[in-house]
Amino acid sequence: MERGKERVVRRLRAMDNEQAKYPGLPPLPPPFVKDFPPVAVVVEEKCIACDRCPPLCFFDAIVMELRPAHKYKRTAVVITENCTGCGLCFEACPVDAFVWVPDKKPGARPSKATGESERDLSA
Amino acid sequence: MSLTTTFVGLTLQSPVIVASGPASHDVNQIRLAQEQKAGAVVLKTACSDKYIHMRSWPRPRYKLLDWDKQIAGRSKAFSLYAYEQGYSGTLEDYWQFIKVCKKHASVPIIGSIFADEAHEWKEMAVKVEQSGADAIELDISSPHRPGSLGFEKTFVAAIKAVVSAVKFPVLVKLSPGPDVVQQSISAQECGAKAVTLCNRLRGVDVDIENQRPILHGYFGGIGGPWAKYYTFRHVAEAAQAVSIPISGTGGTMSGEDVIKYIMLGATTVQILSVIMINGWESIGRINGEIEQHMKQKGISSLDQIRGKALESMTYPDEIIRWSGESKKGPRNTWNEEKSE
Repeated sequence: MERGKERVVRRLRAMDNEQAKYPGLPPLPPPFVKDFPPVAVVVEEKCIACDRCPPLCFFDAIVMELRPAHKYKRTAVVITENCTGCGLCFEACPVDAFVWVPDKKPGARPSKATGESERDLSA
Repeated sequence: MSLTTTFVGLTLQSPVIVASGPASHDVNQIRLAQEQKAGAVVLKTACSDKYIHMRSWPRPRYKLLDWDKQIAGRSKAFSLYAYEQGYSGTLEDYWQFIKVCKKHASVPIIGSIFADEAHEWKEMAVKVEQSGADAIELDISSPHRPGSLGFEKTFVAAIKAVVSAVKFPVLVKLSPGPDVVQQSISAQECGAKAVTLCNRLRGVDVDIENQRPILHGYFGGIGGPWAKYYTFRHVAEAAQAVSIPISGTGGTMSGEDVIKYIMLGATTVQILSVIMINGWESIGRINGEIEQHMKQKGISSLDQIRGKALESMTYPDEIIRWSGESKKGPRNTWNEEKSE
């Protein structure tokens, strides 16, 4: 029993550090959010093809694609046109393979509340 | 045995309704809801031109708190923190959205609006009726609007204005605030045909690494499987105080939760988080779970169990109480021997 536990611990330590832990989304919007709308992309080298993100994406923006050269033969890919930048895929990913990139299509402008302030904290 | 439910004059094939939100923002989603035999769909809330900034959404806008990536959607303890805003198109787009939904779908369509002045509420509601929606939900309780709009001052006038201007049923979606019963009674007196209890709570979480609130640094709507318990209470209280039907919403993850809402007096139940987390099949699964329960218990219609749990609900005065002390008596004698 004890020996089995040791073996599991040893195997976990031997694993790539990033695979052994379950980090969450650093809950900060990317620094370029003032200039461009952020969309998610997958860092394919990090992806472990675990199939967790496609079902959690509510906007059908993630598909699994075959990559014969990839370590796991497959990888998740974000369809940028469908991505609304909601951030749910970051929650699905056990290896933090998602990053924000600016969507530089022309015409996108950030929007902010005007006039009446929303800083009323009494609610 | 059937799940057929009559709600504000509409005949629904199931008591399960898709709540207003990201699952009712696009025409193709209505088809998915219909395939899964949802009872009705409440469309995403459209904001008046004054709140034009609410048509753009911050990125990112969701965060799953206490989310276990290993068990994912099977978890019964997580919170969905959402900073999503209103319908992202113009009002013209919204009327067109309702028209296309009605043209292609047989499932009842309930419009949802949010405005400021009573005349704006009225004009928008009339447009929703003209576009062909089967009913309208007045979203007077968005978690993203602070308390600058008072219930008595603004919303009572708005409900009255809308009810007098339209012929189709008017639902009022209330906030989970402290006066839910009183507000339900007011809504009934103003002529609303049903109340939806309750909208999401406002909440916030702190990122202690960066010493700041998560995401954009403001309160968002929070909900999750735990949220059903406070709504159960509001539904139970309101069901005893008003005669109009109640649509319960909050934390529903399974058919069991829907049955609980109905036993507490709700007529329909609105779901959303479970669709986002576990997919559109959740609606069909929940319908199946309700049917299975009805089959096991020999229930032929949901009317038989509606409000059943309320019959056994008692008052604090009637609960039998006993002494909290042990037989030895009061506990304030210090035992010297034991402490050594």
